[in-house]
Amino acid sequence: MKRIVELTINGEPRDMTVDSCRSLLDALRDDVGLTGTKKGCDVGDCGACTVIVDGEPVNACLMLAVEAEGRTVETIEGLQPGVDTLHPLQDAFMRHGASQCGFCTPGILMMAKKLLDDNPRPSDEDIRFGLSGNICRCTGYTKIFDAIKAAAIEMEAARS
Amino acid sequence: MNVTTPIEQRDFKIVGKSVRRDDVLEKVTGEAEYTGDVKLPGMLHGKIKRAAIAHARIKSIDVSKALAYPGVKAVLTHENVPRVLHYGSPHPRSASCTKDQYILDDRVRFWGEGVAAVAAISEEIADEALDLIEVEYEPLPAVFEPEDAAQPGAPLIHEVGPGGNLVLDPVRVNRGDVDAAFAQADFVLEGTFSGGRPHPAYMEPNVCIADWDGSNKLTFWTSTQTSFMVRGILAEVLGLPLTKVRVLVDHMGGGFGAKQDLFQHEFLCALLAKETRRPVKMEFTRHETFVAGRSRHPCKIWLKQGFKNDGTLVARDMKLVYDSGAYGSHGPGVTIVGTTAATSLYRCENVRLEGRCVYTNTPINGAFRGYGVVQSYYALDIQMDEAAERIGMDPAELKLKNVVRAGDIAPSGHPILGHGLEICLQHGMDVLDWKSLRNRDRTPDPKRPHIRTGWGIGCEMHGSSAYPGIKEQGNATVKVNEDGTVTLLTGAAGLGTGAHTALAQIVAEELGVRFEDVGTIHGDTDVVPWDIGAFASHTTYLVGTAAKMAATKVRASVLERAAMKLQVKPGEIDLSEGNIFVKAEPGRFMTVAEAMGPSRGIPAANIVANGTYEPTKSYSFAAHFAEVHVDTETGIVEVKRVIPVHDVGRVIHPIAAQGQIEGGIQQGIGHTLTEDYIIDKKTGRSLNAGLVDYKMPLSMDMPDIETIILEAAPDPGGPWGAKGVGEDPIIAIGPAIANAIHDAIGVRFHHYPITPEDILKALREKGA
Repeated sequence: MKRIVELTINGEPRDMTVDSCRSLLDALRDDVGLTGTKKGCDVGDCGACTVIVDGEPVNACLMLAVEAEGRTVETIEGLQPGVDTLHPLQDAFMRHGASQCGFCTPGILMMAKKLLDDNPRPSDEDIRFGLSGNICRCTGYTKIFDAIKAAAIEMEAARS
Repeated sequence: MNVTTPIEQRDFKIVGKSVRRDDVLEKVTGEAEYTGDVKLPGMLHGKIKRAAIAHARIKSIDVSKALAYPGVKAVLTHENVPRVLHYGSPHPRSASCTKDQYILDDRVRFWGEGVAAVAAISEEIADEALDLIEVEYEPLPAVFEPEDAAQPGAPLIHEVGPGGNLVLDPVRVNRGDVDAAFAQADFVLEGTFSGGRPHPAYMEPNVCIADWDGSNKLTFWTSTQTSFMVRGILAEVLGLPLTKVRVLVDHMGGGFGAKQDLFQHEFLCALLAKETRRPVKMEFTRHETFVAGRSRHPCKIWLKQGFKNDGTLVARDMKLVYDSGAYGSHGPGVTIVGTTAATSLYRCENVRLEGRCVYTNTPINGAFRGYGVVQSYYALDIQMDEAAERIGMDPAELKLKNVVRAGDIAPSGHPILGHGLEICLQHGMDVLDWKSLRNRDRTPDPKRPHIRTGWGIGCEMHGSSAYPGIKEQGNATVKVNEDGTVTLLTGAAGLGTGAHTALAQIVAEELGVRFEDVGTIHGDTDVVPWDIGAFASHTTYLVGTAAKMAATKVRASVLERAAMKLQVKPGEIDLSEGNIFVKAEPGRFMTVAEAMGPSRGIPAANIVANGTYEPTKSYSFAAHFAEVHVDTETGIVEVKRVIPVHDVGRVIHPIAAQGQIEGGIQQGIGHTLTEDYIIDKKTGRSLNAGLVDYKMPLSMDMPDIETIILEAAPDPGGPWGAKGVGEDPIIAIGPAIANAIHDAIGVRFHHYPITPEDILKALREKGA
């Protein structure tokens, strides 16, 4: 059965017509055309599809699209503050080599954004714990940790 | 042939700098397009029916209900696809392949093999239709272990090949007089070793899209490391000229070697699209990436080595048996590379090696970073530690004494030119103050008496390029545009390593323009020069040299054109950072843009040149130092700190090179401690084909890694001496961890993964 779902995606009011069994991930990728969010397992194991729903990180493959009715969804496509500017995390990921194949990167960036929104001065352990649901198979995480730490410092400096 | 001129020294402007990777900009914004992101109008979805039996003949297959299901557009079985025997691993110019596959056969050789394919208007409908396909099997006796498959009278899995379930004739190497050397040895060590079935677990599941146009041309998007091989074998099996197959791949979500086969689903996707005259997408589930993807070959090794009492190695006798799974895939290459690798690393004049590769009724094993060598060097390196223990010598000293030297014959059969292993080992020992570490107080921390710490060393060497198994060719085309910008065309795949950035750096450096002025075109077999594929740690070495050669040519042409405009001889001018100046009068110059652009009577020009390079091989080296904490109550091993010391020759992009090393260590820790794709020994069924049950090291598990890259031994075969880096790190970390565990608890393990159960069992036995 098809349903119309009204929601806010990256600040824009949207509606999508979806089967009631469709995942938010498939709806975002196939119906809305936001393919930045990746499907790595489709069963909630890898974190590649992490998006932020009403301020909380969610595996979009585990949430039904109809559950997003009336809610606010943030995806990687909404992370840039402006067309020509990058979020400090995006910039730090580039400078530190925190992205290799890049398939986990959108999910990790969204998780890292949530982490820094909640905890602007995370310890090394906070960062490791914060990313424990996101699989990266290329980098050994070392440069991801470095990038998140660097972004935290820059964001802190920008606030003060 | 290899470039043998001395390595040019210069004041590098771009090489050696961690310039901004354009591919990463697209990745952090979500704009990077992967194959699965492509959506074509009218696109259908394909799914594969997989056998729930390990070895059987198909008695009958009834697709009538599936075909009648609303939304189903086509169903393929062995009865209606072309029957062409083909290679799984389509390496061109290679004898190391086995033709043993059909697109679909009337026979099932492993649990999970595809027996039919469906195209439907949605993934859900295609999935539901699979259940409506009725297959009647005649079960055949199955074998799941190479020992059983190699027994006389064992059920034969293939009619092709040398027989006895061998994938290829045994690979043998004999050098010196092994028996005489053993007779003169002061002591002999002998042991058996084994490795599990680690899986690459790249983040992007295999995916492809096929679309035929009205002229019967196939356009094929696929996540592959080897797009020209995909083109070649698709054309061969489908009976098409190469002009009628176009393969496209932009970004890909990792491969680690395993995306260099031509997969069953890729043929089926193309055929479903042909049958329906609509585009078809086929995307693996995560489960399918295990079952129908490729893993590392499980391996059993018997190793006997003779030593003098001063630690000198004098004889080596080694037998290796690799488990190929149900098809040959890369089995021949892995067996040849893994076996011949054991001629080296630790120098030995008297060597006798025999490598076998055996079919079993299990999922297919293929190429994976460290290609056969992960297995053989795990055994070699651990036994070197045991030799040191036997004579009370520091294992670092024993390894230093025996490591391969410059001029020694490498596994490729060539003398090693750029040799850096001694330097890596010595450097790590100095940085860590290894002697103090060895002699440290080993009393456990009274607050945590159950935690024992240990340090271990693992060494490795690995070739850039697959020579001599494959005579490789690297190609590049460089164009200088009218505005002075430069376009590089390359067939090399972008797995995520940063290879395209490195190639652009090389072109900019050689040509004398800014890095930002070089654009790279890749990923379209109709446009870019032929490429062998991204594997064997060779893109920077092989294609990098070809790109440098092309850049040298266009540079000369640009200078000629500028000389004409400046009315001087080409030898009187030079080019640097985009400016062409008269050497005697540095104030007199023009930009590359001015040289290329129009001026009175001279129209704008476009200068094009190709570079083609057919090298032999270079070797990179590494010594890894690892600290582990072993919990004697739980058996859990934590890797706390790793100091990888690598010689990769000239470093082109330091951050990208470090990233390769750190990621390789992550995968190697997994191999050694937790990762094993388990196949049930009674049924052949996969037991842990998913990312929760297949345990990989994640953010909480990673040690501190302090990467050290030494440009110790540049090889003249690579651009300014650059060598490979991708495969090395995964090889050295395994024995480093196993040796560290021994240092911590005094127990030797000869297998991987070393699980907590293994640790606890060994401690119980040791205590008893």
